[in-house]
Amino acid sequence: MKKSIFAAGLLAATAAAMPAQADKLDDIISSGTLRCAVVLDFPPMGSRDASNNPIGFDVDYCNDLAAALGVKAEIVETTFPERIPALMSGQVDVAVASTSDTLERAKTVGFTIPYYAFENAVVANEKADMADWEGMKGKTVGATAGTYEAIWLEERVKEWGEGQFRPYQNQADVFLALSQGQLDATVSTVEVAEANVASGNFPGIKIVDKAPMVPDYVALITLREEYGLINYMNLFINQQVRTGRYAELYKKWVGEGEPANLTIQGVYR
Amino acid sequence: MFNYNFRWNQALNSLPQMLEGALVTMEIAILSMVIGISIAVALTVFRLSGNRMLKAVATTWVEIARNTPALFQIYMVHFGLGSFGIHLSPYMSLLVGIAFNNAGYLSENFRGALKAIPDTQTRAARSLGMSAGQAFTSVVMPQMFRISFLPMTNQMVWAILMTSLGAVVAMNTDLYGVTSDLNARSFRTFELFAIAAVIFYLITKAITLSARLLAARLFRY
Repeated sequence: MKKSIFAAGLLAATAAAMPAQADKLDDIISSGTLRCAVVLDFPPMGSRDASNNPIGFDVDYCNDLAAALGVKAEIVETTFPERIPALMSGQVDVAVASTSDTLERAKTVGFTIPYYAFENAVVANEKADMADWEGMKGKTVGATAGTYEAIWLEERVKEWGEGQFRPYQNQADVFLALSQGQLDATVSTVEVAEANVASGNFPGIKIVDKAPMVPDYVALITLREEYGLINYMNLFINQQVRTGRYAELYKKWVGEGEPANLTIQGVYR
Repeated sequence: MFNYNFRWNQALNSLPQMLEGALVTMEIAILSMVIGISIAVALTVFRLSGNRMLKAVATTWVEIARNTPALFQIYMVHFGLGSFGIHLSPYMSLLVGIAFNNAGYLSENFRGALKAIPDTQTRAARSLGMSAGQAFTSVVMPQMFRISFLPMTNQMVWAILMTSLGAVVAMNTDLYGVTSDLNARSFRTFELFAIAAVIFYLITKAITLSARLLAARLFRY
């Protein structure tokens, strides 16, 4: 009799203690849904198809992660600046949104290991006299606000001490301004640059050069203190590469060729 | 569920940059008001004049300025004119956009104020030998400004708040622009925008209070 009361009490105590220990990883599994913030005006990583469904590398990546967790994926569209508020206010669990893993940002959010890496290209208006990336010196240049390449470009303009930097709100506005000649040049990911030049939506622009910056490694993000989830996602990214899924997604969304190497020679993560 | 730890250290470090941005915001708002008032007076005169063309210009201006979003107006100044090869910098686009909006609203304020001034004022002035122009500038207009003074401060407050729309034309030196730039770097969204909101609040509060004091001094009977 006494023993069973003790056992029941122990059970109750364990049950009561459980929720306190549950972290985001448990919350996602028990809720049955993984909510991902994805930027959908950033092809080929995120965009919408003809019937307005979210598609792209990041969308597939979120679906894969949800499948690994055994839950349903829910894509929540955000802009680049809205990723963090969405995360912090609990509207999403993670952001699969090509987030560059800068040290400054790591003071605020928790980054996984990189899951993709971008090279950046310099795209110029054909009327601007520009032979290589250094031709941007003294010119009016711009990029999408809040991106890695925008931060890089703004720093170059400050360093040169001449010319002007303009951060537009989205990729489309940058290329519109470039096409109109309001901007002489922009820096964007090679993927975006090639897609926009090929689309013909923005006449009078051309790719000039590669931008000489450290490759833009992007990572998944969640709250800074969610080590359990970050740990899980690190392994997930590793498995994506190991199983060939990474190369498969690259081929599907970016094209032929080798996807970027996600390891860095000579140093551990 | 709001699981966010406020950490103010990084955000507070950037306060000086944000205050510099606040100065640019005030500069744009003041310039846009000066331009806006001048144009609004002209539009009001256009509407009073018998000339059909001038009347049409004024009406069109007021209709567009008051019945389309300010965001659209600023966007069109930058990208709309841009497609015709007229390239304005982000600063100028924002200034012109807000001034355009101000002029439309202020012109309506002035029209309302004019209605509140009895016709007899003009007639009395004319009977004293003033010309129509003189009667307007030295009798009617001062009263018009007096009646519409508080609505004008309202518009000034609005001009301050509208500067935040400059982001759509790549404006990055005003308070909102500086804040979103800092946010892109550090991701300290809530702290940075909370500080920006407080600065906006203090600026607008200072404007309304000083306007009230000024009005009390200027319009003492």
